[in-house]
Amino acid sequence: MVEPILRIENLYKNFGDVEVLKGVSLTVEEGEVVVIIGPSGTGKSTLLRCINYLTVPDSGDIYFEGRKIEYKQDNLSIVRQKIGMVFQEFNLFNHLTALQNVAIGPSKVKKINKTKALELAEKELLRVGLQDKADHYPAELSGGQKQRVAIARALAMDPKILLFDEPTSALDPELTGEVLMVMKDLALDGMTMMVVSHEMGFAREVSDKIIFLEGGVVSEMGSPEKIFNNPDKERTLEFVSKITRLGPIDSSRGGSDI
Amino acid sequence: MGLNGKAGEVFKSIPYILQGLEVTLKVTILALIIGAALGLILALMRVYGGGFCSRISVFYSRIIRSLPLIVILFGLYYLGADILDLSAYTAVILALSVHTAAYQSEIFRGAIQSISIGQMEAALALGMSKFQCIFSIILPQALRRAIPYWSNEAAIVLKDSSLAYVLGIAELLRRGEYVSARTTMPLLTYTIVGVIYFILTFVLSRGLFFVERKLSIPE
Repeated sequence: MVEPILRIENLYKNFGDVEVLKGVSLTVEEGEVVVIIGPSGTGKSTLLRCINYLTVPDSGDIYFEGRKIEYKQDNLSIVRQKIGMVFQEFNLFNHLTALQNVAIGPSKVKKINKTKALELAEKELLRVGLQDKADHYPAELSGGQKQRVAIARALAMDPKILLFDEPTSALDPELTGEVLMVMKDLALDGMTMMVVSHEMGFAREVSDKIIFLEGGVVSEMGSPEKIFNNPDKERTLEFVSKITRLGPIDSSRGGSDI
Repeated sequence: MGLNGKAGEVFKSIPYILQGLEVTLKVTILALIIGAALGLILALMRVYGGGFCSRISVFYSRIIRSLPLIVILFGLYYLGADILDLSAYTAVILALSVHTAAYQSEIFRGAIQSISIGQMEAALALGMSKFQCIFSIILPQALRRAIPYWSNEAAIVLKDSSLAYVLGIAELLRRGEYVSARTTMPLLTYTIVGVIYFILTFVLSRGLFFVERKLSIPE
């Protein structure tokens, strides 16, 4: 049996008195696209942030490429280099151009020489279709363009898995399409992805597995067909139909928000 | 000798007053450099240093900011004279440095804290060490934001350097005082000294404003 690229066991996280994660367990296979859905405040982002230890879980184990991450002993930098992250608020480095934003990871972290890092960055910008914006500063880009640069920045580190924390939630509706398109291309290229999102069209069309997180636990998990059409739990059906009513999910129109 | 004659004396003494420029500028520039280095270290201790370092930084800033500069100056000079054998000149530079460092630490702290936490998180997520995050991502942005406030502090240090006169250092103000005493024309003399300080401050502020614009990034 092939070891899953990511295995989370019994993850707990409290913020003060608030229990956010109450024993989350899940696995992600290599090449899989997993979409995490669930009501707000249910710990979706926290779960994602625990994976690269931007948030330190209280207990539970995370195995990455078959090896348990030891928060206290491991060099987190090495783990994080292999786990890319894309944030809701983009978090591009404001003092750097698009190209420099993408190049800084390889050059500072991997110590690749600067010219090579810039060449690599150009390639990654091309991949997200923004080669002509290389010299623009983040403030000069639209939200969708910023997020695509942020994806290129994560890709430049050549990660084994990419985490997307609500990548389109801060975008105007007409800008989400370009970002989802880039994500879809990545999925087709075989990138392992974990996506927290309310983009049901994307979840339905691109994902291999949907995880319904509620109340800090995995309430249900399964293929998109199962979650959308025939979930085990009444509550899953209720949530999915509530969310999908808010946006277009007609699979023939799936492209409208992809 | 009439009024014109006395006024003429004052004007003829301008080159003498201007000889104090060198001391004033040296004291100001050295104090600003040492103060900036110390202030930056204090700010980093405050924001990233954790409990103990952070408390030391807060303590330093509170104590120094609650003392009049002249008390720090005399303290260093007389204490220094007994123990360290500081010259008046060194005592002035140190006192100004110690004093401005407290204010600059607050300027830098505010600027660092104004950078969104997401910048640090994105850098960490790439695999950067905290040190790399601070020096490659946070400070380049924070220091740019600090320039207008730092420029204000630089003008204050320039004018505070006039306190060196109490230790008998012949900087601008002290020389002005000599001229005033000799010519019995205090109003005119101190007006001239004031104009010199005004020009210095103006040039300094414009210069830093130029730097600010030159380094600005689209926001």
